[in-house]
Amino acid sequence: MSETKVISPTSRQEGHAELVMEVDDEGIVTKGRYLSITPVRGLEKIVTGKAPETAPVICQRICGVCPIPHTLASVEAMDDSLGIEPPKAGKQLRELTLMAHHVNSHAIHQFLIAPDIVPEDLMVTAINSVSEIRKNAQYVVDMVAGEGIHPSDVRIGGMASNISELARKKLYTRLRALQPKVDEHVELIAGLVLDADFPAGLGVHNQPTIASDNLYGNRDFFDLDRFTEVMPESWYKDPEIGKKACSTIPLYDGVNVEVGPRARAVQFRGFKEKGVVAQHLARALEMKSALSRAIAILDELNTSAPANVGNFDIRGTSKLGIGAIEGPRGMDVHMAQVGENGKTEFYSALVPTTWNIPTMGPATEGFHHEYGPHVIRAYDPCLSCATHVIVIDDDDRNILKDDMVRL
Amino acid sequence: MVLGTYKEALSARSTDKQIQKISQDGGIVTALLSFALDEKIIDGAVVAGPGKDMWKPVPQVAMTSDEVLAAAGTKYTLSPNVWTLKEAARQYGLEKIGTVSIPCQTMGIRKMQSYPFGVRFVADKIALILGIYCMENFPFESLRTFISEKMGVSPELVEKMDIGKGKFWVYTADETLSIPLKETHGYEQNGCNICLDYVAELADLSTGSVGSPEGWSTVLTRTDNGDSLFKQAVEAGIIETKPMADVKPGLGLLEKLSKEKKEKNQKTIDNRIAMGLPVPYKASTEKEDPLANY
Repeated sequence: MSETKVISPTSRQEGHAELVMEVDDEGIVTKGRYLSITPVRGLEKIVTGKAPETAPVICQRICGVCPIPHTLASVEAMDDSLGIEPPKAGKQLRELTLMAHHVNSHAIHQFLIAPDIVPEDLMVTAINSVSEIRKNAQYVVDMVAGEGIHPSDVRIGGMASNISELARKKLYTRLRALQPKVDEHVELIAGLVLDADFPAGLGVHNQPTIASDNLYGNRDFFDLDRFTEVMPESWYKDPEIGKKACSTIPLYDGVNVEVGPRARAVQFRGFKEKGVVAQHLARALEMKSALSRAIAILDELNTSAPANVGNFDIRGTSKLGIGAIEGPRGMDVHMAQVGENGKTEFYSALVPTTWNIPTMGPATEGFHHEYGPHVIRAYDPCLSCATHVIVIDDDDRNILKDDMVRL
Repeated sequence: MVLGTYKEALSARSTDKQIQKISQDGGIVTALLSFALDEKIIDGAVVAGPGKDMWKPVPQVAMTSDEVLAAAGTKYTLSPNVWTLKEAARQYGLEKIGTVSIPCQTMGIRKMQSYPFGVRFVADKIALILGIYCMENFPFESLRTFISEKMGVSPELVEKMDIGKGKFWVYTADETLSIPLKETHGYEQNGCNICLDYVAELADLSTGSVGSPEGWSTVLTRTDNGDSLFKQAVEAGIIETKPMADVKPGLGLLEKLSKEKKEKNQKTIDNRIAMGLPVPYKASTEKEDPLANY
């Protein structure tokens, strides 16, 4: 007799989603479906009809955990639509921002999975290590992009300004000093992941992986003709789930795919492994690659070169601009079209987890349902941020209400 | 509390001949910022540097004492230094920022430190605020207008501006011109009319010419930071001092002007409140000390 296990909302991830698993008598998942239940916020509609500069500011609010890829994808889409080629220093600073963000964001995820993989006696060590790395990585984003969370200085045409020579040297020294720390951290996390009690083959699927670039992103990779989008009603079969799901299902070459650190490692670094353990390892190892790249950029950066094209004409030609950025969680594509009147005519964002959603549910199949959340967390899902409300009694500190806000 | 909280009041000037030559009065701000930079008490300072237009200062991040020197001298129009503090912390990567500010800017910075909205990791890096006395401030267009129209001289020819003895003075290469301060009224920024702070009460150290003889400045040390910096500079021989009691016109004048500004502007505040206008200050009836700066 089959039974349905529902986890709603799934925990230790960003935003809210639901995992629906049909299990057999042994508790093995026979059908897994994962769907976003974070209500649509309509940011793409908000920026339509506004000046192109509005889009990066509004669209970075898609997420508070990975705002950098959204900002970058947004400005790159606008650059493309307006026919702007940012100067070299501008591109380097953008890339530097993303590299630091990869390190920071991967560390956050390791914090989220810590209860799954870290034994009690190492918990403090692991969390301190995460904090130390995040502090340094965020310092880079703060200095280069103006703000650590929603960066103000990533602009259409490049960056608001270059950094000073003093700041460059400071960042270089700081990141060089961080390198042994990150190596040690990656070794710790990789060891813990391998020691964790995950059954062999957990989370393995045969869907293709896609990644546009080793670490930064490349708009030329994203071929609009190979991309289709279907509505959740036609994807999930179950009409109730289809109605409840809040995100569309993007397909590449007609099939659902996996994006993220493992996908990049497979496409660009000769990585062959699959499944939960492989995803955690690829993510940890990528921290080293991103840090090395950040140091290399700081080494090359000319701080007296302009970081922005300066004045540009905001009147567009209705060209569909594409920004494809490799966010920590995978390829983030923003598409924008600016008309002759200098206003955004069309805007669409295909965020990393949206690509992964149709792949994540089925990846839980074939194992006990208790492993379902582990499979989900291996993708480091980030649904759009949601609002939580907690009402606490002033007198006895009891939680009277703990709700996700539904509009 | 007409001068705010302070530890010590002294008459002082820079001992450096070069600073004496180009600075407004005693060259205290220039000397202290240079000293703080040299002694690594701060690693950069946001100052009112020279801009494209004569007399229209542009905030600048000075990292050496030469750069501080280039920004010496009072400019009678606003230099939005607070605006550049974030850039100093971010793109310049400074950890200990010094700045020079007029009273309203000082209040802004202190508020920023108390409620760091949008200035995460900026407010805590402000290590030194040198406040300067300020009766009122002119928008650049106002300044340009009364200098060229009322005083009949092009601002480009002006080498120094000064306020003293109830007059606004300009010095060109070959003449000295002045108009009574009354003539400049109406040209100040609107906000200056409700400001209750003459002597940068919230700074680490405040300074200005009033109360001291020509070429000297009156210094009020306020915080431990400001006090220790000043003492170090005096000890190092960068600054020489005289007791206020020994100089003319003395602290009395500073107190008198501060009181006048507070009383006059409190009236404006009361009037505006009576008209139902929003004013970020309390009416005199709501305050215990009518001269308090809130």
